[in-house]
Amino acid sequence: MFACIYDRIASKTAATDSENETGFSPLVDLAFTFSPLVEQTKADTVVFDVTGQDLLFGTHPNVLANELNAQNDSVRNVADEIARRAAKLNLKINIAIAANPDAAIHAARCCKGTTIIDGDDVLLHLAPLSIRKLDYSLARVEADRAEEIQETFALWGVCTFGDLARLPLAGVAERLGQDGVRLQKLAQGKTDRQIHLVRPPIGFEQSLELEDPISELEPFSFILSRLLNQLCANLHEYALATNELRLRLVTERCLEYRLQSGISAANEKDPTEVGVLNTCDLHERTITLPVPMRDPKTLLRLLLFDIEAQPPSAPIIKVSISAQPVKPRASQTGLFIPLAPEPEKLEITLARLAKLVGGENVGSPESLDAHRPDSFRMKRFRLATQRKKSRSNLQSVIRNPQSVMGFRMFRPAWRVDVETIQGKPTRISARGQASTRIRGQVVCAAGPWRGSGDWWRSDVWARDEWDVALVDPNARESKVICRIYRDLTNEQWFVEGIYD
Amino acid sequence: MNAAVTKKQIESTLTDRFGDVFERFERLPPKTLSTGIGEIDNALHGFPRGAITEIHGTASSGRTSLLLSALAAATSQEEICALVDCSDTFDLSSAAKAEVDFDRLLWIRCGHNLERAFKAVDLILHAGGFGLVALNLCDVPAKTVRRVISTWWFRFRRALENTPNALIVLTPIAAVHSCAALVLEVKSEASVWPNSLSLLSENRYSSFTAQPEHGGHLSLVQTSLPTFSSNKDSHFLQAMNIRVNRERPVEWQTREIKFKAHFH
Repeated sequence: MFACIYDRIASKTAATDSENETGFSPLVDLAFTFSPLVEQTKADTVVFDVTGQDLLFGTHPNVLANELNAQNDSVRNVADEIARRAAKLNLKINIAIAANPDAAIHAARCCKGTTIIDGDDVLLHLAPLSIRKLDYSLARVEADRAEEIQETFALWGVCTFGDLARLPLAGVAERLGQDGVRLQKLAQGKTDRQIHLVRPPIGFEQSLELEDPISELEPFSFILSRLLNQLCANLHEYALATNELRLRLVTERCLEYRLQSGISAANEKDPTEVGVLNTCDLHERTITLPVPMRDPKTLLRLLLFDIEAQPPSAPIIKVSISAQPVKPRASQTGLFIPLAPEPEKLEITLARLAKLVGGENVGSPESLDAHRPDSFRMKRFRLATQRKKSRSNLQSVIRNPQSVMGFRMFRPAWRVDVETIQGKPTRISARGQASTRIRGQVVCAAGPWRGSGDWWRSDVWARDEWDVALVDPNARESKVICRIYRDLTNEQWFVEGIYD
Repeated sequence: MNAAVTKKQIESTLTDRFGDVFERFERLPPKTLSTGIGEIDNALHGFPRGAITEIHGTASSGRTSLLLSALAAATSQEEICALVDCSDTFDLSSAAKAEVDFDRLLWIRCGHNLERAFKAVDLILHAGGFGLVALNLCDVPAKTVRRVISTWWFRFRRALENTPNALIVLTPIAAVHSCAALVLEVKSEASVWPNSLSLLSENRYSSFTAQPEHGGHLSLVQTSLPTFSSNKDSHFLQAMNIRVNRERPVEWQTREIKFKAHFH
């Protein structure tokens, strides 16, 4: 059985653009409350499948004795329920229920109120309808052809559905072809087609309002797990993944603020204050993923690491997670490509490392285009997706016959006491962190090399660099070669690092 | 000889009863990772994968030079590398000169915290997929390294087993002991200083001249006050001769490995 609802007001005013927050018209939303199988035939016409709805709305116990009456009564109950819900939404609609969707459409458009058509009484209900009400688009007849056929019907004296239905099939087929046959079936209410379903709204956002505020991470992880499982199931259903998660936590303090500010705003009649206070205390986090994922366990761990690193300031009373849907990752691995960490596992490892040593201490180094010594920044570590054009073999690895001398940079540079003769360092003594020290007689020195820069900034640097080789007669270690420099801004000496 | 024959006889006798329990499985030669230095690769065939390699030596002995070469070789082979830097001493300038691909390098700065460094290595090894993991303990005092409990090394060795990953540990003294499949001691034999330098400052009015000092030492003394220059790629130490001594595994005949690390 199919039910058709026809909005009388929308059809007259042509106000068909009204959409609610789900993106559908109120008619479609009303239909979705009854069935997931909904077709929006026109802006003012919606058909949906109500088969089995009698199990929900039941029949009156007094009429159970008669099966036919019971069926009619259950269909009537469904129609009444539709009308009741439409009235709640202030919709002025016609309702028709029939075994055929097209028959229901025509009945709803032409008959005011509620029309229930039994299987055998289709023609009885449709026959008196004007032929002008026939919807040619349902028979897949184009507009130009429809005008021709309308003129033909006028010449033939066909004024109602009944007139067309009673014409001989062979004669109609000879004169009007398949279009005529389909139109005649439409008039007879005997078409057989599948309704074109409206996709229900895709939900990539999950939220939950808690009865009691949660202030600990462990119980909150169960809430997150539940929401993420549902979210990932939705993504999986549509063969999608996500590369961005947005976590929105409403904290208890926020609610207090809202109430207090709401009261004060009501008293002071200053509605802007409510909005400001409400938004400033929300805890919102966005996690950008390097690759699309939809594994709830991985996402849960990442969220927990993030919350642990930056916890909300008050107990949580409402949580909402939304995911940005993207196409899932498709990667083709090769036999000769070196093993790389799995992206999901790598993200969790990076999150753990960030928790261990701090987020600013984990990543890929990137040299800055500056003359200042040791100018670099840390960037987020991502797996290199682009392969090199020509892959080097093992022999070409040893391409550089001269290996590069290593240098270890002290951060920050060690303060050093330097004895000089004629400006040349002769003996130095420095103590670094963890009781390590560098001291000794300078046996070889080269320098100075003067460098400076950033004179237009407050942190100007200017220095004289020396490379010195030290020998400490008291130490077991042999010669130590280090780079020292004299800071010209404050005339102090520092050890920058060691050649190693 | 007699003992060997007797063992074979016992094994052949018991084969019918217990099957091939005495049959040793063929042990495949260990896979290695190039060190990036031809002299070492020729002698040692590289660093073993699935095992720990320890490189120890005193300050300015050449440990970092060896590490940079290995990182450059590994990243050029599209391996993902991780450097756990306990004392935050990784120098980007020298690494860039060694052609280390920073996009394939995960650098973890542990801020002089030894425990964090070991935990970071543990996380990385268990994550898997990193072709080369380096733990830099060069600037940790020797007595502190000596006190590292051996459980960590056993744990790392266990995590590395049957994986294609290699772990390189740089220490001031030998600390990994039996857990390391390869132990290298590096020593700096000599440093190469320029014989003469003639550096001109920007305005070319003042210059530096090399003046040989006593004992073959070299010193460059400024003849007049140099003007400010923004060139920072000027250093006077040119190269270091580094000798590598393999301590483990011990073989009857050892060959002396030497290589030269240049500044440029």
